[in-house]
Amino acid sequence: MAERAPDLLPGTLDMLVLKTLARGPNHGYGIAQHIHRISGEALTIGEGSLYPALQRLLVNAWVRAEWTASDTGRKVRQYSLTAAGRKQLARETRDFGYLVAAIARVMEGA
Amino acid sequence: MKLWNRIRFWLTRTRLDSELADEIGAHREMLERQLRGEGLSPADAHAAARRRFGNDLGARERSRDEWGFAWLEPALRDARFALRLLRHQPLVTVAAIVTVGLAVGANTAIVSVLRTALLDPLGIRDAGNIMVASVRLEKLQMTGAETSAVEYRELQEMTDTFSAVAASEPREWTAELGGQPSRMLGRGVTPDYFRVFGEHPLAGRFFHREDRETVAVISYGLWQTQFAASPSAIGTVLMLDGRPYRIVGVAGPRFHVPAGVQAWVPVVFSPDRLRRRGYNMIESVFARLRDGVTPARAADRVNRYVAGLKTSNDPTGMAHLGYFIDLDSFSHFVAGDLRRPLWLLWAAASTVLLVGCANVALLLTSRTAGRRREMAIRLAVGATRWQLLRQLSIESSLLGLLSGLAGIAVAALAVSLIGRLAMPGKALLELVSLDRRLMLYGLAIALACSLASGIAPALQLLRTNQAAAMVRSARRGFQRVFLAAEVAATVVLLVGTSLLLRSLWALEQVRPGFDSSHLATGFLLRPPNDPGFLDRLDRNLRALPGVESAALAYPIPFSGGGETSGFSIQGRQHFQGQPEFHGEAYFVSAAYFATLRIPLVSGRALADSDTAAAPRVCVVDSLFASRFFPGGSPIGSKIAMFAGWAQIVGVVGSIHGTALDHSSRPTIYYSMPQIPYFPSRAVILRTSLPGGPLIRQAVKQTNASVPVFDVRSMEDRIAESLGIRRILGILVSVFGALCLLLAMVGLHGVVSQIVGERTVEIGVRLALGARPAQILAYFLGYGLAAGGTGLVLGLAGAGWAQQWLAGLLYEVRPFDPPAFAAAALAVLTTLLAAVFWPARRASRIDPQRALRYE
Repeated sequence: MAERAPDLLPGTLDMLVLKTLARGPNHGYGIAQHIHRISGEALTIGEGSLYPALQRLLVNAWVRAEWTASDTGRKVRQYSLTAAGRKQLARETRDFGYLVAAIARVMEGA
Repeated sequence: MKLWNRIRFWLTRTRLDSELADEIGAHREMLERQLRGEGLSPADAHAAARRRFGNDLGARERSRDEWGFAWLEPALRDARFALRLLRHQPLVTVAAIVTVGLAVGANTAIVSVLRTALLDPLGIRDAGNIMVASVRLEKLQMTGAETSAVEYRELQEMTDTFSAVAASEPREWTAELGGQPSRMLGRGVTPDYFRVFGEHPLAGRFFHREDRETVAVISYGLWQTQFAASPSAIGTVLMLDGRPYRIVGVAGPRFHVPAGVQAWVPVVFSPDRLRRRGYNMIESVFARLRDGVTPARAADRVNRYVAGLKTSNDPTGMAHLGYFIDLDSFSHFVAGDLRRPLWLLWAAASTVLLVGCANVALLLTSRTAGRRREMAIRLAVGATRWQLLRQLSIESSLLGLLSGLAGIAVAALAVSLIGRLAMPGKALLELVSLDRRLMLYGLAIALACSLASGIAPALQLLRTNQAAAMVRSARRGFQRVFLAAEVAATVVLLVGTSLLLRSLWALEQVRPGFDSSHLATGFLLRPPNDPGFLDRLDRNLRALPGVESAALAYPIPFSGGGETSGFSIQGRQHFQGQPEFHGEAYFVSAAYFATLRIPLVSGRALADSDTAAAPRVCVVDSLFASRFFPGGSPIGSKIAMFAGWAQIVGVVGSIHGTALDHSSRPTIYYSMPQIPYFPSRAVILRTSLPGGPLIRQAVKQTNASVPVFDVRSMEDRIAESLGIRRILGILVSVFGALCLLLAMVGLHGVVSQIVGERTVEIGVRLALGARPAQILAYFLGYGLAAGGTGLVLGLAGAGWAQQWLAGLLYEVRPFDPPAFAAAALAVLTTLLAAVFWPARRASRIDPQRALRYE
């Protein structure tokens, strides 16, 4: 629990998951690992927030899930991005860009 | 999409949940494997994965929350709990549901009548813009009198005020419907009739200006029953009174103006009719207001016009009668005399509803008193006040829903009975129905009531952190207010009941002036091409076995009154200040007076020899004689009302011809064969056998193609004239009794509860030497104090409210002491009875046991 990323901006988790899935279908564990790795181990996604986020994305039909066998033969649920999810990702990326730029301007100006 | 997903997820949530558990399990395994790969021992890896993962149940729970209806689930849980609670206390539940259900049902049923008659009269679109003209003759105290074609023409000429004006006059025909000669009710209408009501034909067309009385528009009902709703009905010929009418159109399913009419035909007024005011009356003139014209402005316009007529030395001679044209709203026209009783009933039913609510609140207050522990525990283990409030309001809503459903059932039953009531305006009442909007209304008021009655107990429950004694005193406050309100409302209803019942009783003592027992009556339509029909019928009627005597007449008493008209007296001029020469006429066969047993005062009655060929004669009633021939005898004088001069040959007793609560106008009886104007005839038989079949038999035997209708005993007709009063009396008594019962139950409950709570204290008092009689007196006093406030308020309220009854009272003055005393006595007795048992229980408490009680 202690590893839960302390400063993940609210609402950005959905975006990170969508971005990860934009690379290709993945399962929950894979998603968490990917974010952990790519962020240079700065972000650790707690499973307690990952699964609720995945359910949220499913309800919004931004991702779709299907049961497949993993490399080790274990049955896992694999998530993939839908067309709507792709659009949502674009939207969130843009909004996030604005936000970061705005924050940066404020910080530099100070 | 999102909503659909939510619903889908929510519906399959059990499967999804187990899948989620699998998924999270797999995730943990993978994590463990990775940790082992990093060199941890299997046991350490397991523990670490567990730690990393934290509480996987928590993750599952939060994931589940994403599936849509998380906020709903606790509500459903509450509802299930509430249902268990309701089942657990069946008596309280049933009492609450029955109370609110009955009140809601009565209220909804009355609102459904109100809607058809007044709020949305006959379902006509923007009926507020339709005015109905009628004549008022102030000097004769006549209002709502029929107009002649002249008023129709005049209103039509006011194009600045009205956008469409139409007149209608009654028609009744004999038609073959389903192989049986039947009487068909219709209206002759001017071309704009349907336009005034904004009505479009369902099939075919309505009338053109060029149409003559050879075409007809039929009602939706007739189209359904006689033409199987076939489009080919347009163009077919309908035989009415043996004359062909080509059907040109069908009216819409909801067009019932006026109620009960089956066909409309065009009417074309002769130039003479359009000129002669006060003659050859038509039934009604309907006028649609031009956009932006208010009813008040239209009335003003008409009044100015009438004032102008009077100053211009009106040649029609109506001005001296105090002639006015009244414009009434369409709802006024439709509801007629029902308006006052309907609002009264609605008020009574609403009072019951309020009393019912107060009682349910009392019930719930005493019930929640027993749930304080439950609430305290819930609060202690972490429930928020909001959650408790939600649960309590769900309990109330559930109660409301159940009572609403009960109420709709009651209303449906009541509405199905309304059409069968014996009272005037039947055709209108048969149109009353319960639709979805009214059901929603019923459900809504039931919910509102239950929530309102749930609020007080709920608020109390939530004040658990206050001292118990304070809560208790707050509850007492609530209960006193509710009790006083209940008793006050009950008193108002009971005073109303006794005023109405006293009036009804007084009216039932009124003798109509003739012997109404053993009289069978029925109407028929004279066949158009059978000249000897009436004579033959008269003979056949008299020859019937078991018939003491038989008469023909038009009209008959208690069927709407005679034909009213002005008249002249030969050799007399009317002077200012004298009673106006105005009265009503009946056209009767010679045996009429003997059959009805109307006493002959002087001269002779009509005789069989007064035929069409004989000199025209008439008989007048004693009211006519005393009003127009005071101190002298009218016999030998000649009057002219219908068809020229007729000599008065006799005076008979005056009767109540239309209603028991007011006497008839001065009445003239003409010999029927001498005035053969009206197509309708009534048969009256004096017989101790069932008369209806005899009438039908005699008519059929005389001419099989003649329809017989409206067959009833004279007693039934008189009863129907009291119908509104009877129904009002019965319903208001039932409502009053219901309130009384509720107040009794409420007070009994409250006092029982107080006695229960104070058992120990009473025990101590008794142990210390209080006498049981003192305890008894104390609680009786409490009950009377609680009820007494309500009683005083109620008497004051009744004094104020009785003004709404004024028009419905007969020989009972407002502030009638017996009525008020009776209501007060009934309430006091009931209150005492309600308090007596718990009070006596208190006085018999055994101190020993009471002190061990806690």
